[in-house]
Amino acid sequence: MNSAIHALLIGFRATIANVRANAQTFLISVVTIAISIGILGLFLIIFFNLNGFLASWNQQVQLITYLKDDISPAQKNNLEDLFKTNSRVQSTEEVSKDQAWQEFRLSQAERSGLELDLGFNPLPASYKIRFKMSDNRLLHISEFAEQIQNEPGVESVEYGKSWISRFEKFMVFCRVFLMATGALLSFGLILIISNTIRLSIYSRQDEIELMLLIGATPHFVKIPFLMEGMLQGLCGSLLSLGLMGVIYYYLKSEFQTSMESIARGMDFQFISEPFLLILVGASVLIGLVASYISTYQYMQVLNKR
Amino acid sequence: MIQLFNVIKKYGSGSPALDDISLKIERGEFVFLTGPSGAGKTTILKVLFGWEDFEEGQVLVQGINVGKLNAGNMHTLRRSIGVIFQDYKLLTNKTVFENVAFAQEVTNRDRKTIKFKTWEALKNVGLTPKKDSFPPQLSGGEQQRVAIARAMVNAPPIILADEPTGNLDQEISLEILKLFEELNRNGATIVFATHSQDILKLGNHRVIVLSRGKVVSS
Ligand SMILES: Nc1ncnc2c1ncn2[C@@H]1O[C@H](COP(=O)(O)OP(=O)(O)OP(=O)(O)O)[C@@H](O)[C@H]1O
Ligand SMILES: [Mg+2]
Repeated sequence: MNSAIHALLIGFRATIANVRANAQTFLISVVTIAISIGILGLFLIIFFNLNGFLASWNQQVQLITYLKDDISPAQKNNLEDLFKTNSRVQSTEEVSKDQAWQEFRLSQAERSGLELDLGFNPLPASYKIRFKMSDNRLLHISEFAEQIQNEPGVESVEYGKSWISRFEKFMVFCRVFLMATGALLSFGLILIISNTIRLSIYSRQDEIELMLLIGATPHFVKIPFLMEGMLQGLCGSLLSLGLMGVIYYYLKSEFQTSMESIARGMDFQFISEPFLLILVGASVLIGLVASYISTYQYMQVLNKR
Repeated sequence: MIQLFNVIKKYGSGSPALDDISLKIERGEFVFLTGPSGAGKTTILKVLFGWEDFEEGQVLVQGINVGKLNAGNMHTLRRSIGVIFQDYKLLTNKTVFENVAFAQEVTNRDRKTIKFKTWEALKNVGLTPKKDSFPPQLSGGEQQRVAIARAMVNAPPIILADEPTGNLDQEISLEILKLFEELNRNGATIVFATHSQDILKLGNHRVIVLSRGKVVSS
């Protein structure tokens, strides 16, 4: 245990020496990583905020079944049975003609300040049906809507079909896009970091050869380079997150008020904490993998057996 | 302790650098390895500490079957051998002190022991005044002594020396030879490659003569 700590300590000192000797390459590599992570982070921020929109809107999607004024109690019972037997329905809420009118008048008054009084009630009674969350919820809603539509006593059904399905498709696209760019950028980062490590190795070839000649274990030789790779990943991701944080708070302080006027209660989100950790962790891991590849290749060349 | 059985080593095509070599060197022995340039002295030493592979035969060092070692366990062999390379292999960006200390760092010694042992080794080769110099600032002979200090600092049971007096005048050569003889008295097995007849005469030890990759006399 003690000797493992000792080896890590020596490895760390060697890492610092390496970084000093190749400061410029190291810096360029760190900045490149920061830019790549920054691109990914930007998409993540956009994705999170759109996802937030979608979630709050999705919550509001409901199937509204408007009833004919002359609907009979038997027809109502039949409808309620249909709702109850559908296992995907989460809740139903009955809105009577009076309630609908009451609500409408209230919201109208709030908006215009005028009390509306027509002397009769033009609004129909309705059921508001919420569905359980699932992957193809929208499909279930539209299927059920079609079924209900032709039941006796039903005037019409309504739900925001087209924009929601379009938005959901867009979010799927976003997810795919994020994964594809993520994979592509990771691959690019592996090339960049392994190249830096390779340069660092070349500048220390004599030392590495000597280490092996005087009985260093392969681990002992590799550790400083693996550490250097991880350090690059760490510095790069932290730098990029720091910059993104600064930009985020600037945008937020500048535009939060105008944002709120567009969408009430909307809060502009930063990358969520677990994803921050994932970004940093992935970046460190990429650094480790990249330096492992190049040290492994170099050691293969050095071993004449 | 060191045994070679019918070892054949080829660099590429052409005549072999080691051609059917069989040798036995006992524990605690001091042997000279000599022969004209290109005879295969350096190659034998490289085979002994696993730096060059060989095509045929068997090599046993300290009971280790050298041909069976791989990158993962090679260090077990090399830690029991101190090597003085023909071209020294000193690190030019480290001081004399750091160069000698380096050999101990790779074997995970604690810092206090490293300091003490390094100091002791430098004293043995008479280089304490130069401990903070860098190798390029030293004379050839001084560099050679740094290499010797580095090879002996871990007190290995075997020391392989490739022309350790190649750059030194007679007087210092004799001192170096005495240093190796002292290490030998303390129990180390020494294989000393040289083509200097003077050194051979000065030290009264077994001589193995190589020529064109073959043992001529032993
Ligand atoms: N890396 C190499 N690649 C190809 N041939 C080599 C290599 N090293 C040595 N040789 C050849 O192997 C033969 C033995 O070389 P070696 O270095 O063992 O000789 P030596 O006895 O140490 O000579 P010297 O006294 O000049 O140091 C020589 O013919 C040499 O040209
Ligand atoms: Mg030689």
